[in-house]
Amino acid sequence: MKTSRFVLAGLTIALVLAGGLVLYASSEPDGLESAMLEGCRTGADGEISGGTCVAQQEADHEIGGPLADYGMSFLDNDTLGGSLSGIAGVALVLAVAWGLFTLLARKRGTGGEGE
Amino acid sequence: MSDTALHIPNGIIGIPTSLGFGLAAVLAVAACVAAARRGLDDRLVPLAGLATAFIFAAQMLNFPIAAGVSGHLVGGALAAALLGPWLGVLCLTVVVAVQALLFADGGVTALGLNIVNMAVISTVAAWAVIALALKVLPRTRAGLTAAVFAGSVVSVVAASAGFLLQFALGGEPIGQSFAAIAAALLGTHVLIGVGEAAISAAAVTAVALTRPDLVHALNGGRLDQPGDGLAKETA
Repeated sequence: MKTSRFVLAGLTIALVLAGGLVLYASSEPDGLESAMLEGCRTGADGEISGGTCVAQQEADHEIGGPLADYGMSFLDNDTLGGSLSGIAGVALVLAVAWGLFTLLARKRGTGGEGE
Repeated sequence: MSDTALHIPNGIIGIPTSLGFGLAAVLAVAACVAAARRGLDDRLVPLAGLATAFIFAAQMLNFPIAAGVSGHLVGGALAAALLGPWLGVLCLTVVVAVQALLFADGGVTALGLNIVNMAVISTVAAWAVIALALKVLPRTRAGLTAAVFAGSVVSVVAASAGFLLQFALGGEPIGQSFAAIAAALLGTHVLIGVGEAAISAAAVTAVALTRPDLVHALNGGRLDQPGDGLAKETA
């Protein structure tokens, strides 16, 4: 398989995961969160309803932002927001990584590593 | 609602410890930049970019591991197997940094803690296990699968042990003892590691079958066919 086709296929899978399958992901607390919640009771919404646990020390995030918690705060539709934020995230991460690795691949002073 | 997702939020680990690990993260990532540059050429850029984007996508997919508990891929083993440890650490660093800065997943103050655990410890631990396993296992599909599987489980448990070290240094166990937190955390992360292993092994095997030259752990070689030297055994 050619590299360009391989990368396109991989990106398609990543977009399907982040924009589609993500809607079916578990929303239960993860391994770290559940360990920090031990000692507390949580209500149906997942919020702490009583007890004492490490998670109560959790402080707010410094930035938050429109994409916080993998949503789009300016959209009313959570499903659409979750899907679009995943797609936007994949595009952003790809752009950042591609740019960074392109810079790092540039050899200093050797005039490049041509074929 | 899960809004921390294996990522340490603010407030759990004290500021001095967080800053200390921030410094450790900067030093480790700088060392990886220097080491990765030696092996990085233009042909690798698209694959490294793709691996980073794929890991970001896969990290969003929480899967159930026990009643009321979920987990998700970290990606250290996948990155290590495909790209080697140094470039792998940089991929995970990009993922964790974008998550903290744009998606409020993991505190910004806690970014160094999360980079040390999920980028540095997870990737380097996975690489150590995979490289060692491929020295003793046959370079077949089964051997590669087993190596990546073992590397994945070890990498996730090692990353959670990194959190325990940070928590011991700068956290305050309330409502339960440190030992109880450690037992709960390590237990769930063994299960998360098995999930991670299934995903990573499947992904690495898929790449090895289509483009074996893109699997760093195979050193540019192909997978041996199970029949190559074992025909007699299968008879």
